[in-house]
Amino acid sequence: MSTTTTLPPLPPIGRSVRAYFAPVDRVHKTPTLFDPSVNGRFSVNTPPAPWISLGWIENFARKSASKFGDLVTGTPGATQMQVRATVDATVAFRFKTWTKLSMALAAGSQHMNLLVPAAGGAANGSGSKGVPPVNLATGSTAAFLALSATDAATFSAGSLVTVDVDYASTTGFVGSGVYAAYVSSAAAVNSDPDYIRRVSFNVARVASVSTGSTPGLQLAQPLLAGVPAAGMRVQPLSGFVDREGGSFFQEWSALFVVDGQQGERILYHYPRLQSMAGPAEESSALAPPLERLALGASFRALPVTDANDGETVVCFRSFLPSPMTLI
Amino acid sequence: MQNAKDTFYLALRNRLATVNPARTMTLRSVTRPGILVEDAEPFMPLPQLDAFTLCWSGLVADLHLPGILAQMSCEIRYTTAGTQPNAGLDRGRALEKMDDELLRLLYPYSEQKMNYTQTPAAAMGTLVFWSEPAFSPAAMDHDRLSRIATVTVFAFQEANEA
Repeated sequence: MSTTTTLPPLPPIGRSVRAYFAPVDRVHKTPTLFDPSVNGRFSVNTPPAPWISLGWIENFARKSASKFGDLVTGTPGATQMQVRATVDATVAFRFKTWTKLSMALAAGSQHMNLLVPAAGGAANGSGSKGVPPVNLATGSTAAFLALSATDAATFSAGSLVTVDVDYASTTGFVGSGVYAAYVSSAAAVNSDPDYIRRVSFNVARVASVSTGSTPGLQLAQPLLAGVPAAGMRVQPLSGFVDREGGSFFQEWSALFVVDGQQGERILYHYPRLQSMAGPAEESSALAPPLERLALGASFRALPVTDANDGETVVCFRSFLPSPMTLI
Repeated sequence: MQNAKDTFYLALRNRLATVNPARTMTLRSVTRPGILVEDAEPFMPLPQLDAFTLCWSGLVADLHLPGILAQMSCEIRYTTAGTQPNAGLDRGRALEKMDDELLRLLYPYSEQKMNYTQTPAAAMGTLVFWSEPAFSPAAMDHDRLSRIATVTVFAFQEANEA
């Protein structure tokens, strides 16, 4: 016989919120769904694939923006029933760290890589023409880029690289691993073969360079798109740039986790989030004049259909009670 | 966090040797730049005159970051009685000179974090950085004039760092 001692329900006391994001398949309009009945108790440091941890966030604020209508009958009028006129919700928070992903999520529009410039390129706000990319050799993995010894020698440990295919005059969503932009016409991007590498999320820092028997770049972090596909090439970058403006909307699946102090867990799952604000920073004073700069982010939740009952919803809130409390 | 404390102290000590090579003290029979760490020296009933004494006090750690951000309060205390040839009547000027020196020691407000527990010392991956100093009012105690400058020192804790 299995028995347990129970306690009355206790108020959840959270310490902070962890954020996880996963790409949305924009072509097939398929978000990444998180199933709390399967993975609800995952370790916060090792989220289930394809979720990517973006660490602790702060100032997490959810807001329901759904509107309700009422049906009034009789004299004097009395509300007899309500209808849900619109389903809408927003969520806002601050990213504590700046990374390619957190910047892109916060900026909302195309997020660009600053390609290391070629000599003599015309100045441009989002970076000028980059140095030529180098080809991958066979034997690459998600964390190792096989190159010729000559090409490998052009990189140094600690440098940053973007790894993606050449732009080939196609239109539609582009970018490996995550759709990073939408190209409406080849002319709009000057038919630039580097355009996809300029917006790609498939970026990493180089941990070491080998030019010996197995020449290539050992990456300090695996590529988001996994093992490089045929046709991908490598180009160095120096940083990132986002812009106020742009026509593209990033769309992500999001998961937020609050662990209570008694073992309970609250999960907020937004299958589709699109940014509803441009890039902005918010500062927190450390010791004057030092300030910590956080990335402000706010999103609108877009709908999905719950397969259990066909309802249109924008967010799922799950509660996994502590092991000892009555429910 | 000890690496950050060591780095901060040695950065100031090395800078002092450049800013004012004449500011030295003799402690435990060794003449060295006039700056010391209180918790690394024997107890002193009276402050070391004309030297900077670093006293570590508060500690705050932000754990909700990929690397722990430690904030350590450091009080830099200094006392002077002026000079003998002037019968101590220049103690105000001497304190002002130390104020100025301290400002120059603290700038730039960062230094590569070093591990001084090994020889040679090894550069670590992050930088130690600190706030601008907050100066207390000068305090008079008989013939001695003192001041405390408080600096908050920040350092990200690195992997495998004690």
